[in-house]
Amino acid sequence: MEHEVDIYQLATHGFNTLKKHESSLKCAEFFFGLNEYLNIEIEENSIKNSEIGSDEGVSIRAIGRNGSLGFSFTNRLNKRSIDQMVDNSIKMMQSGTQDSDFINLPQPFNSYPKVNDLYDNNIQSLKIEDSIDYVKELIRICDKDDLAISQSANFTASTSRNIILNTNKLEVDNKESFCSISSNVIVKDKIKGHTSFGFDFQSERILKKINPMSVISTALYKAKQNLNRTKIKSMRAPIILTPNGVISLILKPIASAINAESFQHKRTFLVDKRNEMIGSDQISISDNALIDGAVGSAIFDAEGVPCQNKKIIENGKFLDRGLLHNSYTAGKEGIESSGNASRHSYASIPSIGISNFILSPGKIAKTALFDDIKKGILLEYTGDRPNLSTGDFSGLILHGNIIENGEIGPALNETMIGTNLLELFKKIDNKSSEFETFGSYQAPYLRIDDIQIIGSQT
Amino acid sequence: MAEDNELLLFPDDLIDQLHDKARNKVEYWDIRAGLSKGNTIEFSDEKSKEITSYLLTGCSIRTFNEGGWGFRVLKSASKQNLLDEFDNAIKLAKLSSSLCKFKFHIKEKDALTQDFKINSKRKLEDVDITEKIELVKGHESIASNYSKLIKNTRTIYLDSHVNLVFLDAYGTKVNQELEILRLFSSVYAQSKGIIQNGTNSIGAVGGFEVMNTEKAISLSKKSSEQAINLLNAKSPLGGSFRVILDSKLTGTFIHEALGHACEADLVLNKESILIGKIGEKIAIEDVSVIDDPRFGQGEKLNLPYELFGCYFIDEEGTPAQKTVIIKHGVLQNFIHSLETASRMNHDPNGHGRANSNSSKPQVRMGFTFLEPKDWNLDEMIEDTKQGILCEDFQYGYTDPTTGNFQFKCRISTKIENGEKKENLRDVSFGGMTLDVLKKISAIGNESTFNYSDGICGKGGQGIRVCDGGPYIRIDDLTVGGLN
Repeated sequence: MEHEVDIYQLATHGFNTLKKHESSLKCAEFFFGLNEYLNIEIEENSIKNSEIGSDEGVSIRAIGRNGSLGFSFTNRLNKRSIDQMVDNSIKMMQSGTQDSDFINLPQPFNSYPKVNDLYDNNIQSLKIEDSIDYVKELIRICDKDDLAISQSANFTASTSRNIILNTNKLEVDNKESFCSISSNVIVKDKIKGHTSFGFDFQSERILKKINPMSVISTALYKAKQNLNRTKIKSMRAPIILTPNGVISLILKPIASAINAESFQHKRTFLVDKRNEMIGSDQISISDNALIDGAVGSAIFDAEGVPCQNKKIIENGKFLDRGLLHNSYTAGKEGIESSGNASRHSYASIPSIGISNFILSPGKIAKTALFDDIKKGILLEYTGDRPNLSTGDFSGLILHGNIIENGEIGPALNETMIGTNLLELFKKIDNKSSEFETFGSYQAPYLRIDDIQIIGSQT
Repeated sequence: MAEDNELLLFPDDLIDQLHDKARNKVEYWDIRAGLSKGNTIEFSDEKSKEITSYLLTGCSIRTFNEGGWGFRVLKSASKQNLLDEFDNAIKLAKLSSSLCKFKFHIKEKDALTQDFKINSKRKLEDVDITEKIELVKGHESIASNYSKLIKNTRTIYLDSHVNLVFLDAYGTKVNQELEILRLFSSVYAQSKGIIQNGTNSIGAVGGFEVMNTEKAISLSKKSSEQAINLLNAKSPLGGSFRVILDSKLTGTFIHEALGHACEADLVLNKESILIGKIGEKIAIEDVSVIDDPRFGQGEKLNLPYELFGCYFIDEEGTPAQKTVIIKHGVLQNFIHSLETASRMNHDPNGHGRANSNSSKPQVRMGFTFLEPKDWNLDEMIEDTKQGILCEDFQYGYTDPTTGNFQFKCRISTKIENGEKKENLRDVSFGGMTLDVLKKISAIGNESTFNYSDGICGKGGQGIRVCDGGPYIRIDDLTVGGLN
């Protein structure tokens, strides 16, 4: 164990130094972050690297009476460095412009929600030698498989602690744990010589939920489903999005578009659409931070504001309160923060991020979605993203298959789709009861009617 | 300050102790330590959003034994802590090597004991924050006042002054002092319900004088022009077209579709389309591709700074050097780290790079470019009946196992009967790398050559890179469209 530092003592010291600047300072925040992790890496289906690391640091956010923000951070945790950071944050604050949109940092809260299973002592006590078993399972299954020729994979486990203190006397302190396993498998058709990859991952708060067998099996399935690719002619056809496809084509763009900062700057295609139907009644989306044990769950956000379960879109209607806010953007709109302040580490000012972003599942079985499709497309993955300001999307189907008479057929080669997201939302005509979770996103299978497919077969 | 530099000192007696500890336990080790300080300034709509000052230290120990690596990232690097953690790092390499299937040894290399200091005319440390803020304000003002249709502007300035030390098992000790800076401008214009965006950036290794160059001065004006021009652009028609790529897109194609496939770690992991193809003709005769991340490239392009993707040594202590990837259409070399070079019986060529002291080196590009030939742009356009001139790049990616790539351009122009017609927005095009390298029908001359810089992501690390080339023309490319 490396040296221990008393963070509360450092913070008190920092606040005392800040008092010298009371005349120009409106409020300030002291943020401490500690992250300790271990990581085992597989390349060429063999253990390659064992890593242990830690990072801790503090940042100071100082806001002047005119709303100007100064920020400084360091990983040198001693009183001298803190003094230097305080001076720097004040200097930065004094150099900024007036910002009348800034109202205040959060006030103390009377209570916080209860969310279980966000910290696992088994992760804290996990030794790197003991985590080898997880990756051995991946290696073993890959070795056994006839078509698999290589795998890169990874197991990681970490614990973190955040302490937030501000001059409004807000004070929160919390620990979280995290673990994940991923597999990227390469398969080769021995006769035709074609290769393909498949990827899957699982991230959890609780170590015992990690299931290497499921991750490698899914990666292998996806890799094989994408072998022996074929070109098709351009056509208009129904498509089925897998949960992964829903995340990349629908959930991630919506998550960006309802970020209050982008929204207030009118940078997104959903501007002026609140209280309107923006798609079919199949779309209901919530951002829920209060699910026990979920990766995106939290008790408080990166400014110490209690987290919530928020409805964003209900049966196709984009709700008036369906934006994700931190305290700054909420203050600008004259409402309370939604508890979506997010920061990568102590080294960043709070931006806005999702909690668990969920498109609610439907009532019918996934197989029923395929049943009446004579000719269509299954879309699992595209590396493209839509133009967020217009909602236009034109992208390559990196992993997708032809659907013929309700059955999944050959993989697609050099095939693109083109649409506008608002058009696509309207054309969603059904969704499955089965759903999948990838990190902080959760989605069912969706069927979308009549989409432009651009094939490369002439 | 004495305390600030403590981490960088590594007196001889400490180094001797490290060598003693490693002896007979691990065959290779290296240590990277550093101290960085810098500023970030972000303005939006002429108001300050973030003004940051930081001071960070970092230290990591990497160890290797018989095919297995250990890596220990430290919170602090006092002498005692370093010595204790060195033992732990040795244990990590032992753990990896006890389980790995492929046993190999790192090729011994000569010790390097040469220091490097960037020759900045205006050291970033000597420039007061107020002057940096004035620079950002100036760009915000240009963008905001460019047109009434501009609805949102954003300018970000980032700089860092870095002191680094690199040590390894062979006796290498290199001290470096670098300055790195970047300016980014993004502008949104709106008209008749349509929102469009223009984005540009400049990055360099050098001092504050970089911000006085033509490219930096014109940055926000360029973003504004782009956003306004795009308001009238139409969505493209999908189909197969003859496409002319500007130097930025040529660079992107060379980097994304070809360059990544030349990274030897992907070759070893069977994730490259170029496995077993060294010595084979994979492109038309006129194609020659180089990666040359040595300092001095800026001067060749008449720029008063070092290019953003360039470096003195990589993060494994190998000096940056010129690597010929393709010559006259024939694949010559992959790019290597110490490990891939050792395993593929090649000399390391300086591509083991990491984005910070807390990340492991991976095989990464530096400044990758296609060499120019003899076409000028007008000739290429005149010689195109039905086609698209694609300029500027939004993003791109490649499926490494198949070579299927996809790029999104910022602004494009339709070409009909050898003449430029209307503007198109969000044109995306894709193809298979090995097909497209043979479908290039024209390569531009020296005057069409340019480079661009950016951050390339791989394995969770973003690293500074440059790529470039002349304008090129490719026949029968698949273009995605909305109509």
